[in-house]
Amino acid sequence: MSAMAATGEVAVGGETRGVWRVYRTERRKLASQLATRVLALLCLLGPVAFAAILQAQSASPADTLFGVWAHSSGFAVSLVVLGFAAQWGFPVIAGVLAGDIFSSEDRYGTWKMVLTRSCSRIDVFAGKVLAAATFSLVMVVLAALSSLLAGVLLVGDQPLVGLGGTLLSTGKSLWLVLLSWLICALPMLAFTSLAVLFSIVTRNGIIGVLGPSLVALVMQLLALVGTGTWVHLLLVGAAFNSWNGLFAAHPFYGPFVVSMIVSVLWTAGCLTASWLILRRRDFAGTPVARRAGWAMPVRVVIVSVAVIAFLAVAASWGPPAVTPARLKADITPVFNNLTLLQQRELGRTVPPGYKLQILSNCNRRSGGNTGPGDDWVCTMNVLVPQQGGALPFQVTPVSYDVSVKSNGCYKADAPPSFVGQQMMRVPHGRSVVNPLFTIYGCFNTL
Amino acid sequence: MAAVDARGLVKRFETTVALDEVDLLVEEGEVHGLLGPNGAGKTTLLRLLFGLIMPDAGTIALFGKRVEGPGPLPLDDVAGFVEDPTFYPYLSGRANLELLAELDGGAAAKRVGAVLDQVGLADRSGDRVSGYSTGMRQRLGIASALLRAPKLLLLDEPTSGLDPAGAREIRALVRELCAEGVGVLLSSHQIGEIEDVCDGFTVLRRGKMVWHGTAAELREQAPSSAYLLMTSDDQRALRVAATHAGAVAMPAPNGGLSLTIDDEGLDAYMLALGHADVAVRRLELVVSPLESMFFALTGERAGERGADADAADSVVATR
Repeated sequence: MSAMAATGEVAVGGETRGVWRVYRTERRKLASQLATRVLALLCLLGPVAFAAILQAQSASPADTLFGVWAHSSGFAVSLVVLGFAAQWGFPVIAGVLAGDIFSSEDRYGTWKMVLTRSCSRIDVFAGKVLAAATFSLVMVVLAALSSLLAGVLLVGDQPLVGLGGTLLSTGKSLWLVLLSWLICALPMLAFTSLAVLFSIVTRNGIIGVLGPSLVALVMQLLALVGTGTWVHLLLVGAAFNSWNGLFAAHPFYGPFVVSMIVSVLWTAGCLTASWLILRRRDFAGTPVARRAGWAMPVRVVIVSVAVIAFLAVAASWGPPAVTPARLKADITPVFNNLTLLQQRELGRTVPPGYKLQILSNCNRRSGGNTGPGDDWVCTMNVLVPQQGGALPFQVTPVSYDVSVKSNGCYKADAPPSFVGQQMMRVPHGRSVVNPLFTIYGCFNTL
Repeated sequence: MAAVDARGLVKRFETTVALDEVDLLVEEGEVHGLLGPNGAGKTTLLRLLFGLIMPDAGTIALFGKRVEGPGPLPLDDVAGFVEDPTFYPYLSGRANLELLAELDGGAAAKRVGAVLDQVGLADRSGDRVSGYSTGMRQRLGIASALLRAPKLLLLDEPTSGLDPAGAREIRALVRELCAEGVGVLLSSHQIGEIEDVCDGFTVLRRGKMVWHGTAAELREQAPSSAYLLMTSDDQRALRVAATHAGAVAMPAPNGGLSLTIDDEGLDAYMLALGHADVAVRRLELVVSPLESMFFALTGERAGERGADADAADSVVATR
């Protein structure tokens, strides 16, 4: 054995090289794990299966943004998959990939092996985080490409109806869909960092894996309460939907920019806290958390409940995000555009730029004036000019039940008696989606 | 330059003082024994040397380089393990070594096959570690340390869990490494396991260093050995012992005599028994001089040595 030769090699192992050595090692470990392979398969085949099932049935996932258009444009399929993933998929992926990457060393007792190699503690930390982040992003890319390809191949590349009620060209639809998936990369990294923090703090793989999903659930619940803007802006889970504004008739970027900043802050905060804890940790036998029995988990639960309660109260702080004026200002032109689209689909000639005369009104059944909820009602009174009648206009009222989220996105449904069935016959006997049956829209809450 | 130069180490875990002003000096190329009963602080000291935990006071220098806090720099020239070596159970022994070699970088990956051969695991290297016995894990632990071709090996009870043949092989391996210039710090709670291979010893008791010196110095200061003696006439053998200075004999609880005597005195006593027409049927070394010294230093009785103490220990323990 040549001890001296090896000594030289070890000595040249600098900080940067150490990081990449750990990164390669962790990549290999992650790739060899069953959970990672199952996730990759789900990301790859899940969207294909979803598109195939959609094709085989007439129903559409109307509750999800763009859901009613999933039979009409392959791009909508990809956006529906993105909507599902943003709600549950991404936090689960982050948890599975990063939630056990540190705690597994505790479980197997392998810290002392890893930390006594030619890598410093910062190398080990950075290498593991990079590997988890890489795999998280790879999963996003797999799901994006798979859903887009499945949608385009099985449904088609027809223009997508945007959130402004107008048709987006195929090229623009493709670009916006790709951009939407790309935007999810930053919040994905934030959730990955959160999983890393859980993994390091709790040294428990189960909490590390489930933690991000629990946090996502709490964030979704917090998004439902309160009428204010400030707390909702800080919820990194909402950042997964910050692409919504890109599809509006007049795209707005404020929520997107804020979401990106929030994602970066979450990532930096979680990683800094994780490193500070790991850096000072004594690796001496049984983890402290295990020895502490129930005291530590009970303390964590109490603190968590207190924080959630505080955030729920604070969710009403700040200017109201959802107001009747904002909803009315958005849904009225969207309704106008979709009505024109419907008329064109039915083969009627509509002059370019034509505007219906609409008197609209939005309010809540519960009596409150602001805030997210599914008890909003918007009534569109379409004024149709009358020639020779007693009145100058014939008023056609259309009432929509509107469900508005705290990020300003809404879904509006009208009874078939007002706008007809979800599917309508157009010339040449084709059956297409009735654009007025379900209206999606998003307005700027900032 | 000393391979290990640790001074004034103090480590506390909450209210327990695990190490209290402990010094440790290991020269390059030396095989040094770190001795002490369970709970003496051996593993804590090794963890400090590896940078796995930080001392509350004191300094550590490995090959002249200060170990500052939790691993801002990688450990150069040092390898080994503390407590039981642990691996990823879902990977094979070879795959584990390949991962660790990847972490080490350089030519470590090329040594995987050679070190598996060296510890006698080449045939089972494709099996998952979850199916390995304790002894095989110990060997794999040593193999993982050898991957780094270190100048200093820190081994925590490396013969623990090994059968006598396995333990002998490990000791032979240590001697082989020593011949190649590799220094070894061996911790053990049984001096008999490592006394043959060590050049020097540090003895810990309840977190304090109670002895430090060379093996020769330890032997010089060591008291007499303890034997179990079976004769044809124990009563007469006791009377003969009473006439020999330095020989202390008394009936052992399970039969025979318990005899404490040094090497020179033993020769004379055996001859005297012959002259007195007492046949020696069995003479068994129960506690060697170094073991006696170890027990004296650590305040431990032979019967407390652990679960693997053999039946003969009980003879001494009940004296």
